[in-house]
Parts: sequence; structure tokens; C-alpha cells
Amino acid sequence: MRFRFGAEGDLTAPSADRLAVGDPRVVDFLAALARRLLAPAVARRFPELGSLGYFLRPAELKRSVEAMTARQEALVFPRGNVFHVPPANVDTIFVYSWAISALAGNHNVVRISSRSAGAAEVILEALNAVDADPVIARTQRMVTYGYDDTITAALSKWCDLRVIWGGDRAVDTIRKHPLKPSARDLTFPDRTSWAVLSAPGWRAADPDARRAAVVGFANDAYWFDQAACSSPRTIFLVGGGDTTGIRAEFVELLLDVVDRRGWTVDPAMAVEKRVNAYELAATGAATALDFPDNRLTAVTLAGAERAPRRWIGAGAFPFAEVGSLTDLVPAMNRQDQTVSYFGFTPAELRAFATELGGRGVDRIVPFGSALTFGAIWDGYDLKREFTRLTTLQ
Amino acid sequence: MSVFTLPQSSKEKALLAELSDLVDLHRSRCEPYRRILAASGFRSASDISELPWLPVRLFKTLELKSIPDDEVFKVLTSSGTTGEVSRIYLDKAAAATQTRQLGATLQTVLGPKRLPMLIVDTKSILKDRRSFSARGAGVLGMATFGRDHVWALDNDGAVDLDGIRGFLAKHGDQPFLIFGFTYLVWLHLYEIAREHGLDLGNGILIHSGGWKKLVDQAVSPEEFRNRLAAVGLTRIHNFYGMVEQIGTIFLEGPSGGSLYCPDFADVVVRDPETWAELPPGEPGLLEVVSTLPTSYPGHVLLTEDLGVVHGIDDGDWPGKRFSVLGRLPRAEARGCSDTYRSADS
Repeated sequence: MRFRFGAEGDLTAPSADRLAVGDPRVVDFLAALARRLLAPAVARRFPELGSLGYFLRPAELKRSVEAMTARQEALVFPRGNVFHVPPANVDTIFVYSWAISALAGNHNVVRISSRSAGAAEVILEALNAVDADPVIARTQRMVTYGYDDTITAALSKWCDLRVIWGGDRAVDTIRKHPLKPSARDLTFPDRTSWAVLSAPGWRAADPDARRAAVVGFANDAYWFDQAACSSPRTIFLVGGGDTTGIRAEFVELLLDVVDRRGWTVDPAMAVEKRVNAYELAATGAATALDFPDNRLTAVTLAGAERAPRRWIGAGAFPFAEVGSLTDLVPAMNRQDQTVSYFGFTPAELRAFATELGGRGVDRIVPFGSALTFGAIWDGYDLKREFTRLTTLQ
Repeated sequence: MSVFTLPQSSKEKALLAELSDLVDLHRSRCEPYRRILAASGFRSASDISELPWLPVRLFKTLELKSIPDDEVFKVLTSSGTTGEVSRIYLDKAAAATQTRQLGATLQTVLGPKRLPMLIVDTKSILKDRRSFSARGAGVLGMATFGRDHVWALDNDGAVDLDGIRGFLAKHGDQPFLIFGFTYLVWLHLYEIAREHGLDLGNGILIHSGGWKKLVDQAVSPEEFRNRLAAVGLTRIHNFYGMVEQIGTIFLEGPSGGSLYCPDFADVVVRDPETWAELPPGEPGLLEVVSTLPTSYPGHVLLTEDLGVVHGIDDGDWPGKRFSVLGRLPRAEARGCSDTYRSADS
């Protein structure tokens, strides 16, 4: 086992250290970490660390602490010991999950994947570079170990809350290890996310607004190879009329943005996209395939209900038409996480959310915000999940 | 009778007509194939490189066949690295054709008669159900072209020196066939022949199976040939083929260094950026075409192998000569889910 952060030693040994919700020692530590992540040299190399630094800046931390403790009817305390199993591939998720938990005063163990690279390494360097109160190293630990079931089992018995990211298979695998009776899991299974574009909204928008929308969408889609849980996949063109022109303009603008950013798709990914697009055609889910460029594949779906829920490659965009957002509701289910939108009125979006009734879709956000992490995620308020309540009457 | 006879221009003319007919045939008999062509807007091809290709991996995820269920005579499978399996459906006619054409291809270098055969492998691969599909099927397919078979490795995979000596004592004074996977030939036969001074001078080696394991040991195809020549084995033919185009193999010519296409097959090297055909000398993705697949739409396949055409009508045999350079790495994405990778997840 490799200790990536925190004091080496028995991870499950009882600890005499006590942290409070919003403990100043943790707040100071996170604020110092934010300063390092927001340093221009870092933020330039890994833009996602900029967002993370922003999330951890003092004003934001203060707001989070206030939200945690703002309860009249109960006293708020840390949940206890939290074991985090973040995904291997999204470098920054583990920090969000851990930081909120640390802010809530928990003792944390984070399992860092041995496959972690790039931004994760920079974060770990930054964590270790902060001059912290010694209690931080004793209570906040990040470790890397292989597929060692005994360690996972011991940490599962140790924790009061186990946070499992990484999709269905990760959840199923980790869940084989029992928790103590009072503990529970917070799971982040496989998700699918969509984009909705209002045809009337697009027609009403001026060229600058259209371009700005596509820039936001391009970031959402290409940043994590369209494979993050909140990356938009299928684009639903909403609102009737002939949308051929809208789609053509959207695709053209998107290619232009991708061009300007200098984003590329390697041959393996190009083949991957062909395989998946052909498969959609072979099964009748797609009626037309366009390959204008390796970086963008456009697929015409036979209907909204045929939208694929699995990843089909970086820069692969199925399109389907629906009359209204409400018409889309039957095609949505529990697996669906984020719907990013352009061109709708607040009333239309509210009606959509109300009609969904929590049976699917946890986030409805404008183009450009799909990947912005929030303390409310996958339908959970993490600030609540990481604390516990004592009533006093 | 050789199947390496047609110069490139006459071959292309013949193949284009036959392959275009196959496109029509499969389009009318294989619904998923028809849908793919319709969705991608294919009309007609005036050149082999314009024929619509299928990514070879589709045979792992889709059932692609152009024959009714009750005419399926044989289902071939290949194991992939991630547990996905290609399924190739043959009717009686296709099964017979593939055996016949494979035989004709090999006879070019083996002659018309079955030769005594030394198999550089272990008999136990036929028992292990899991490795059977790939290695076992390869060995069994080849075994029909030899006689008096002897396995060079024992059941534990160790060299059976007595067995090899016995084989050579009986058959070593006349032409014999040696078959095995490239890395097994290198690891076992070459070492043993050198150490014990075995006389392989009358052997004709047919080998396949990729160079990756040898490249890891820094053994190039040239070095492989040179070292084996040093122990007397000079007639060496590597080949390239896949279960998705069963019966078609691209065979190394007598002077080595290049693979050649039989008259009923060809290769196209594509630029993975523009997908256009690349001229000789420029490496790209390898597409293989063959007129043998009549019972499933495998007549034009984009492989995930990288290759390069070295020349046209300028080698041991007419047509294109080329090399396989290695495998395209599998696409991997960053993503929240660690399992977002394969097509079936």
C-alpha cells in the first residue's frame, strides 16, 4: 500500500482526534489547497483544477459550512469515518467528494486508483505541499493499493459511510464487502446525460448567442471524451418545424469550435466511433450516419426512445427530434443524470422537471455547465450525507 | 496451380466486379448489413477502395449472416482480448470453398502432396476449451494439410526433444511441413534446433500469430528469418489472416519480408484521418477484401491492424506486397465509470 497523503499507519486504528463540522483547521487547509490549484501555471495546464480551486475558495467553503449547520431542530455533527472509492479516470472527483466530507469534520480514507495520472498527481502534490495542522494528516488519508480485498474489507468495516464512484460494476464489486450495521453506502452508478436544444430558441438567438451556446456544449462534450457521467451524448432537437438547418448549423459551429481548440481524435477512437455508429444503424436505432470528420460523428436516430445509453465514443452525437420537452419525459429513466439545455424558457424547464417527477434526471443545467460539480449531485445533498444529526428537546 | 497469378490491374478489375456483386448479395440477405449501407448512404463503387467496409469488431457484437438459420453448417468463433467473441456463420458451400482456397494458397509453397507435419504446439490446446477457439482452431485448420503429425511440445508445453528427433529420423530426409505460432517457433523450436544441432534443412515453416511477443524480445521479422536460416531452415512463410475472413491468408513470399494477396483477395491501406487509400510506403489502417465470404458480409473488412504496402507487381508474386506493423491500441476514454470501454458495457 502506498500512502499518497496523510500519516502512514493503520488506517482503521481508533483515533482520539476530533474535528468539528466546519473545523477551522480543515477550512484553512482547503483554502490553502485552493490557492495552489488556482495558481496560473496549474490552472493553465489543467483547466479542471481551476474549477476545483474555485469550488474550494474560502467564501464557498463558508457557504457550505453555513448550509451544513443551518438547522434549528437538531445539532449537526460529522458522520464519522468515511471511505471513498473514486473512479480511476476522472481525476478531480475524489477531491470534491473528499473535501466536502473533510469540511463536515469526518475522518476520511480515499482510495486513489493506481491508474490515476495527470491532474490527480498535481492535486496530490498540492495536498502534500500545504503546510497543514498535524491533525489533517492524521485524519485525512489517501492511499493507493491494488485489488486487495482484505484492505477494502477492513475499510468497509471501519467506515460509517462508504462513497462509491466508478459506475455499476464498481458499486457491485465494492458492495460485496459488508459494512457495519449502522453504516451505509452512497453510490454513484453508471449515468447517462443528454442535451436539449429548443428549435424556436435557436431561431430567436443571434449568431453570437448561438456560437456561445456551441462553445459551452463543446466543452461539456469533449472535455472528458464525452464519457463523464454528465457529458451530453444525444442531442434532442425540440419544438417541431424543420430542424435540418438547425442541426447543420450546430454541427458546423461545433466543428469550428473543435478546430479552434485544436482538439483531436486518435485513430483508435475514430474506429471505435465507426463500430458504435454502424452498430446503431445495424439494429435500426439509427437511420443515417454522417462522418464529416474523425472528430465528429453525427447520427440520426429513428426516434427519441432509441437514444443509446452507453458511451459510443468521443465526439459522437446522435440527434433526435421531439415536439416538446414533455414529449421527452417517457424516454427518460433513473439512469439519466444531466440534461443540458439551450433556448428554453424557465417555465418550460420547470414544467419538464415537474413532469419528470424525480423518476429520472437529477440536473437540468445550461450548455457549458454540464461538468460543473455541485454539492448536490446525483440527487443527493452531499453536505447532508456527510453529517449526522442529534436532536435535543 | 498457384493462386498468386494476377497482376494488380487485372486483379482489381475482377475483384471489383465480384465484390460489388457480394455487396448486393449481402445487402439483400443480411438486414443489419442493408441498414448499415442505407444509413451511410452507399450507392456503388468504381474502385475497390470505394467499397463499403465493415469494422471487423462488428462481428463480435452483431449477428451478421446472409444465410437462413437452417443453412448454417458451421459457426466459427475467435476469442478477443476482452472476452468478446467473433461469430462467423458458414453454410456448406462457404465452408467447402474456404478449405479449398486455403489449400490452394498453401500448395503454392508446399506442393500438391500432403507433407509430414511437425506442429510446434502442445496437444493439450485441443482440450482446453478456452484457448481452443483461437490457437486450437488454427492448428486443426492447418493439420488437414499435413500427415503423420507430431507435436513438438508435450502436454505441459515443454519441448519434446525425443518426439522431434523421432519425427526427423523418419521424415527429415524429404520435404516436411513445420507449423506453429511465431513466438512458439522462436521460443521452442529455434532454441532447441540450435542447441542440439537438429537438421531442419528439408522443412518448410508456415507460421503466424503476430510479432508482438517477439518485438518485446527485440526480434524483428528479418532476424527471425536469418536466425532460422542459420539452423538450416530457409523456406519460411509467415501468413496473416483472421477468422472473420476464414480461408483467406496473406502469405509471405519465398524471399521474405512481404505478404502477398491471393488472386481472390486484396488489401487497402487507409489513412485513419481521411480514410482515403494510402500509396505504397505510407503506413495506415489495414483493410482486407476477399471474395470468399458468401455466407456472411465479411468481404470488405477494416481491421484494427496497422500495415503498409511495400510495392505493387514488383516482388516474388504479382499484386500488392505488404507488411503488418502492429495493432491499433484500443480506444480508452476518461469517464466517471471505469467500465465504459467495451461496446457491450
